[in-house]
Amino acid sequence: MMPWLSRLLPTCRDMSRLLSDAMDRDLPFHVRARMRLHLLTCVLCERYKDQLHLIREALRKDDAGLEDKGSAQKPCLTAEAKERIQRALDSHRQ
Amino acid sequence: MADRVLSDSQTMVAAHGDFLYRFALVRVRNPDVAEDLVQDTFLAALQGSHYGTGPMAERGWMIGIIKHKIIDYFRRTTREPIHNPVQPDGQTADEEFLADGHWNAEGVAMQGWPDGLLERRQFWDALALCLEKLPPRTAQVFTLREMDGVETEKICELLNLTPNNLGVILHRARKQLRDCLSRRYFGHAQEGMQ
Repeated sequence: MMPWLSRLLPTCRDMSRLLSDAMDRDLPFHVRARMRLHLLTCVLCERYKDQLHLIREALRKDDAGLEDKGSAQKPCLTAEAKERIQRALDSHRQ
Repeated sequence: MADRVLSDSQTMVAAHGDFLYRFALVRVRNPDVAEDLVQDTFLAALQGSHYGTGPMAERGWMIGIIKHKIIDYFRRTTREPIHNPVQPDGQTADEEFLADGHWNAEGVAMQGWPDGLLERRQFWDALALCLEKLPPRTAQVFTLREMDGVETEKICELLNLTPNNLGVILHRARKQLRDCLSRRYFGHAQEGMQ
Protein backbone atom coordinates (compact mmCIF):
# COMPACT_ATOMS: atom_id res chain seq x y z
CA MET A 1 0.00 0.00 0.00
CA MET A 2 1.11 3.57 -0.60
CA PRO A 3 2.86 4.88 2.50
CA TRP A 4 0.79 8.06 2.52
CA LEU A 5 -2.40 6.03 2.40
CA SER A 6 -1.45 3.68 5.18
CA ARG A 7 -0.77 6.68 7.38
CA LEU A 8 -4.38 7.71 6.94
CA LEU A 9 -5.72 4.31 7.85
CA PRO A 10 -6.05 2.81 11.31
CA THR A 11 -3.15 0.67 12.48
CA CYS A 12 -3.72 -2.96 13.42
CA ARG A 13 -3.69 -1.91 17.04
CA ASP A 14 -6.44 0.63 16.31
CA MET A 15 -8.26 -1.99 14.29
CA SER A 16 -8.34 -4.45 17.16
CA ARG A 17 -10.36 -1.92 19.18
CA LEU A 18 -12.52 -0.86 16.23
CA LEU A 19 -13.36 -4.43 15.28
CA SER A 20 -14.49 -5.00 18.84
CA ASP A 21 -16.58 -1.79 18.86
CA ALA A 22 -18.17 -2.77 15.57
CA MET A 23 -19.57 -5.86 17.29
CA ASP A 24 -21.42 -3.66 19.77
CA ARG A 25 -22.66 -0.68 17.80
CA ASP A 26 -22.87 0.88 14.37
CA LEU A 27 -19.76 2.88 13.66
CA PRO A 28 -19.86 6.07 11.56
CA PHE A 29 -19.55 5.62 7.82
CA HIS A 30 -16.12 7.22 7.56
CA VAL A 31 -14.75 4.88 10.21
CA ARG A 32 -16.21 1.84 8.52
CA ALA A 33 -14.78 2.97 5.20
CA ARG A 34 -11.28 3.27 6.63
CA MET A 35 -11.64 -0.10 8.34
CA ARG A 36 -12.69 -1.70 5.07
CA LEU A 37 -9.67 -0.29 3.31
CA HIS A 38 -7.42 -1.61 6.03
CA LEU A 39 -9.02 -5.04 5.87
CA LEU A 40 -8.49 -5.20 2.11
CA THR A 41 -4.77 -5.51 2.61
CA CYS A 42 -4.45 -7.03 6.07
CA VAL A 43 -5.02 -10.75 6.46
CA LEU A 44 -4.13 -10.62 10.13
CA CYS A 45 -6.92 -8.18 10.98
CA GLU A 46 -9.33 -10.15 8.82
CA ARG A 47 -8.33 -13.22 10.77
CA TYR A 48 -8.72 -11.46 14.10
CA LYS A 49 -12.19 -10.31 13.11
CA ASP A 50 -13.21 -13.85 12.14
CA GLN A 51 -11.86 -15.20 15.41
CA LEU A 52 -13.83 -12.70 17.50
CA HIS A 53 -16.99 -13.61 15.64
CA LEU A 54 -16.33 -17.31 16.07
CA ILE A 55 -15.94 -16.83 19.82
CA ARG A 56 -19.26 -14.97 19.92
CA GLU A 57 -20.94 -17.69 17.90
CA ALA A 58 -19.61 -20.34 20.28
CA LEU A 59 -20.74 -18.48 23.39
CA ARG A 60 -24.24 -17.80 22.05
CA LYS A 61 -24.61 -21.39 20.98
CA ASP A 62 -23.70 -22.47 24.44
CA ASP A 63 -25.53 -20.17 26.79
CA ALA A 64 -26.21 -22.97 29.20
CA GLY A 65 -22.64 -23.00 30.36
CA LEU A 66 -20.47 -25.16 28.21
CA GLU A 67 -22.84 -28.07 28.13
CA ASP A 68 -22.01 -31.44 26.62
CA LYS A 69 -19.40 -30.09 24.28
CA GLY A 70 -16.16 -30.28 26.19
CA SER A 71 -14.73 -33.35 27.83
CA ALA A 72 -14.70 -31.86 31.32
CA GLN A 73 -17.25 -33.01 33.87
CA LYS A 74 -20.28 -30.76 33.82
CA PRO A 75 -20.84 -29.02 37.13
CA CYS A 76 -23.99 -30.19 38.92
CA LEU A 77 -25.83 -29.31 42.09
CA THR A 78 -24.77 -31.66 44.86
CA ALA A 79 -27.39 -33.86 46.50
CA GLU A 80 -27.11 -31.71 49.63
CA ALA A 81 -27.65 -28.55 47.64
CA LYS A 82 -30.76 -30.04 46.04
CA GLU A 83 -32.07 -30.94 49.48
CA ARG A 84 -31.38 -27.45 50.78
CA ILE A 85 -33.23 -25.93 47.88
CA GLN A 86 -36.11 -28.37 48.28
CA ARG A 87 -36.45 -27.49 51.96
CA ALA A 88 -36.42 -23.78 51.22
CA LEU A 89 -39.11 -24.20 48.57
CA ASP A 90 -41.30 -26.33 50.83
CA SER A 91 -41.04 -23.89 53.73
CA HIS A 92 -42.17 -21.08 51.47
CA ARG A 93 -45.22 -22.96 50.33
CA GLN A 94 -46.47 -23.21 53.94
CA MET B 1 -55.96 -23.42 37.89
CA ALA B 2 -56.58 -26.11 35.37
CA ASP B 3 -54.26 -24.96 32.62
CA ARG B 4 -51.38 -24.20 34.87
CA VAL B 5 -48.60 -26.51 33.79
CA LEU B 6 -45.86 -25.52 36.22
CA SER B 7 -44.41 -28.62 37.84
CA ASP B 8 -44.46 -29.06 41.59
CA SER B 9 -41.35 -28.05 43.43
CA GLN B 10 -39.81 -31.52 43.50
CA THR B 11 -40.16 -32.07 39.79
CA MET B 12 -38.86 -28.59 39.22
CA VAL B 13 -35.63 -29.15 41.12
CA ALA B 14 -35.04 -32.45 39.37
CA ALA B 15 -35.88 -31.16 35.90
CA HIS B 16 -34.15 -27.79 35.92
CA GLY B 17 -31.82 -27.67 38.92
CA ASP B 18 -28.59 -28.73 37.28
CA PHE B 19 -29.28 -26.78 34.13
CA LEU B 20 -29.97 -23.53 35.96
CA TYR B 21 -27.01 -24.12 38.24
CA ARG B 22 -24.62 -24.41 35.28
CA PHE B 23 -26.27 -21.43 33.66
CA ALA B 24 -25.61 -19.34 36.75
CA LEU B 25 -22.20 -20.78 37.56
CA VAL B 26 -20.57 -19.91 34.24
CA ARG B 27 -21.77 -16.34 34.77
CA VAL B 28 -21.19 -15.69 38.47
CA ARG B 29 -18.34 -18.19 38.92
CA ASN B 30 -19.10 -18.91 42.54
CA PRO B 31 -20.83 -22.20 43.46
CA ASP B 32 -22.56 -20.83 46.58
CA VAL B 33 -23.88 -17.81 44.77
CA ALA B 34 -25.02 -19.98 41.87
CA GLU B 35 -26.91 -22.27 44.27
CA ASP B 36 -28.63 -19.28 45.89
CA LEU B 37 -29.62 -17.93 42.52
CA VAL B 38 -31.17 -21.25 41.53
CA GLN B 39 -33.14 -21.31 44.76
CA ASP B 40 -34.35 -17.73 44.27
CA THR B 41 -35.36 -18.57 40.75
CA PHE B 42 -37.47 -21.53 41.87
CA LEU B 43 -39.08 -19.41 44.59
CA ALA B 44 -39.99 -16.75 42.08
CA ALA B 45 -41.24 -19.43 39.70
CA LEU B 46 -43.51 -20.95 42.34
CA GLN B 47 -44.95 -17.58 43.21
CA GLY B 48 -45.49 -16.49 39.65
CA SER B 49 -48.09 -17.93 37.38
CA HIS B 50 -46.92 -19.54 34.26
CA TYR B 51 -49.13 -20.69 31.46
CA GLY B 52 -46.90 -22.48 29.06
CA THR B 53 -46.86 -25.64 27.10
CA GLY B 54 -44.68 -28.26 28.63
CA PRO B 55 -41.25 -28.51 30.21
CA MET B 56 -39.33 -26.63 27.54
CA ALA B 57 -41.55 -23.58 27.86
CA GLU B 58 -41.11 -23.85 31.60
CA ARG B 59 -37.35 -23.90 31.18
CA GLY B 60 -37.34 -20.89 28.90
CA TRP B 61 -39.38 -19.04 31.44
CA MET B 62 -36.98 -19.95 34.23
CA ILE B 63 -33.99 -18.85 32.16
CA GLY B 64 -35.70 -15.49 31.89
CA ILE B 65 -36.05 -15.34 35.67
CA ILE B 66 -32.51 -16.40 36.45
CA LYS B 67 -31.08 -13.89 33.97
CA HIS B 68 -32.71 -11.13 35.98
CA LYS B 69 -31.47 -12.61 39.25
CA ILE B 70 -27.94 -12.73 37.88
CA ILE B 71 -28.06 -9.10 36.80
CA ASP B 72 -29.42 -8.14 40.23
CA TYR B 73 -26.51 -9.95 41.79
CA PHE B 74 -24.01 -8.12 39.56
CA ARG B 75 -25.59 -4.83 40.52
CA ARG B 76 -25.51 -5.59 44.23
CA THR B 77 -21.88 -6.63 44.16
CA THR B 78 -20.59 -3.88 41.89
CA ARG B 79 -22.48 -0.89 43.10
CA GLU B 80 -19.53 1.44 43.08
CA PRO B 81 -17.81 2.16 39.79
CA ILE B 82 -14.38 0.65 39.63
CA HIS B 83 -11.62 3.18 39.59
CA ASN B 84 -9.44 3.01 36.57
CA PRO B 85 -10.81 -0.35 35.45
CA VAL B 86 -8.19 -0.68 32.79
CA GLN B 87 -5.22 1.32 31.74
CA PRO B 88 -5.68 3.51 28.71
CA ASP B 89 -4.93 1.76 25.46
CA GLY B 90 -1.32 1.78 24.52
CA GLN B 91 0.08 1.71 28.02
CA THR B 92 0.46 -2.01 28.20
CA ALA B 93 3.45 -3.67 26.72
CA ASP B 94 1.53 -5.72 24.22
CA GLU B 95 3.60 -8.38 22.60
CA GLU B 96 0.99 -8.93 19.93
CA PHE B 97 1.80 -5.60 18.32
CA LEU B 98 4.99 -4.21 16.86
CA ALA B 99 6.08 -0.67 17.66
CA ASP B 100 4.47 0.68 14.48
CA GLY B 101 1.06 -0.69 15.47
CA HIS B 102 1.06 -3.72 13.19
CA TRP B 103 0.31 -7.18 14.47
CA ASN B 104 3.37 -9.16 15.28
CA ALA B 105 2.88 -11.86 12.66
CA GLU B 106 5.34 -14.12 14.48
CA GLY B 107 3.25 -14.09 17.63
CA VAL B 108 1.72 -17.40 18.56
CA ALA B 109 -1.67 -15.73 19.07
CA MET B 110 -1.76 -14.75 15.39
CA GLN B 111 -2.02 -18.30 14.10
CA GLY B 112 -5.00 -19.05 11.94
CA TRP B 113 -7.56 -21.41 13.41
CA PRO B 114 -8.56 -24.57 11.60
CA ASP B 115 -12.02 -25.03 10.15
CA GLY B 116 -14.68 -26.87 12.09
CA LEU B 117 -13.40 -25.66 15.42
CA LEU B 118 -16.84 -25.73 17.00
CA GLU B 119 -17.01 -29.47 16.48
CA ARG B 120 -13.85 -30.07 18.46
CA ARG B 121 -13.98 -31.00 22.10
CA GLN B 122 -10.59 -29.39 22.67
CA PHE B 123 -11.96 -26.07 21.58
CA TRP B 124 -14.79 -26.17 24.12
CA ASP B 125 -12.42 -27.26 26.87
CA ALA B 126 -10.06 -24.42 26.00
CA LEU B 127 -12.94 -21.96 25.87
CA ALA B 128 -14.07 -22.92 29.36
CA LEU B 129 -10.54 -22.56 30.72
CA CYS B 130 -9.91 -19.27 29.00
CA LEU B 131 -13.21 -17.82 30.21
CA GLU B 132 -12.25 -18.64 33.78
CA LYS B 133 -9.08 -16.63 33.35
CA LEU B 134 -10.91 -13.39 32.67
CA PRO B 135 -10.87 -11.09 35.72
CA PRO B 136 -14.25 -11.27 37.57
CA ARG B 137 -15.56 -7.86 36.65
CA THR B 138 -14.52 -8.29 33.03
CA ALA B 139 -16.18 -11.68 32.93
CA GLN B 140 -19.48 -10.21 34.14
CA VAL B 141 -19.51 -7.57 31.46
CA PHE B 142 -18.31 -9.96 28.80
CA THR B 143 -20.84 -12.72 29.46
CA LEU B 144 -23.72 -10.24 29.58
CA ARG B 145 -22.70 -8.95 26.19
CA GLU B 146 -21.48 -12.04 24.35
CA MET B 147 -23.53 -14.84 25.88
CA ASP B 148 -26.75 -13.04 26.70
CA GLY B 149 -26.56 -10.44 23.94
CA VAL B 150 -27.52 -7.56 26.24
CA GLU B 151 -27.24 -4.21 24.45
CA THR B 152 -24.31 -2.03 25.48
CA GLU B 153 -26.47 0.89 26.68
CA LYS B 154 -28.25 -1.51 29.00
CA ILE B 155 -24.99 -2.90 30.38
CA CYS B 156 -23.66 0.61 31.05
CA GLU B 157 -26.82 1.46 32.91
CA LEU B 158 -26.91 -1.79 34.89
CA LEU B 159 -23.28 -1.79 35.93
CA ASN B 160 -22.70 1.93 36.07
CA LEU B 161 -20.07 2.11 33.35
CA THR B 162 -19.35 4.79 30.79
CA PRO B 163 -19.61 3.71 27.15
CA ASN B 164 -15.88 4.12 26.76
CA ASN B 165 -15.12 2.03 29.84
CA LEU B 166 -17.37 -0.65 28.52
CA GLY B 167 -15.74 -0.50 25.09
CA VAL B 168 -12.28 -0.93 26.60
CA ILE B 169 -13.39 -3.79 28.85
CA LEU B 170 -15.03 -5.68 25.99
CA HIS B 171 -12.08 -5.08 23.69
CA ARG B 172 -9.65 -6.35 26.33
CA ALA B 173 -11.80 -9.37 27.11
CA ARG B 174 -12.18 -10.36 23.46
CA LYS B 175 -8.49 -10.01 22.82
CA GLN B 176 -7.51 -11.88 25.96
CA LEU B 177 -9.86 -14.71 25.07
CA ARG B 178 -8.60 -14.88 21.49
CA ASP B 179 -4.97 -14.87 22.63
CA CYS B 180 -5.66 -17.51 25.26
CA LEU B 181 -7.44 -19.81 22.80
CA SER B 182 -4.63 -19.46 20.26
CA ARG B 183 -1.99 -20.16 22.87
CA ARG B 184 -3.79 -23.24 24.12
CA TYR B 185 -3.76 -24.59 20.61
CA PHE B 186 -0.44 -23.49 19.28
CA GLY B 187 1.61 -22.37 22.26
CA HIS B 188 3.25 -25.54 23.44
CA ALA B 189 0.87 -28.39 22.80
CA GLN B 190 -0.08 -29.35 19.28
CA GLU B 191 -1.67 -32.59 20.36
CA GLY B 192 -5.21 -31.31 20.38
CA MET B 193 -5.03 -30.30 16.78
CA GLN B 194 -3.99 -33.41 14.84
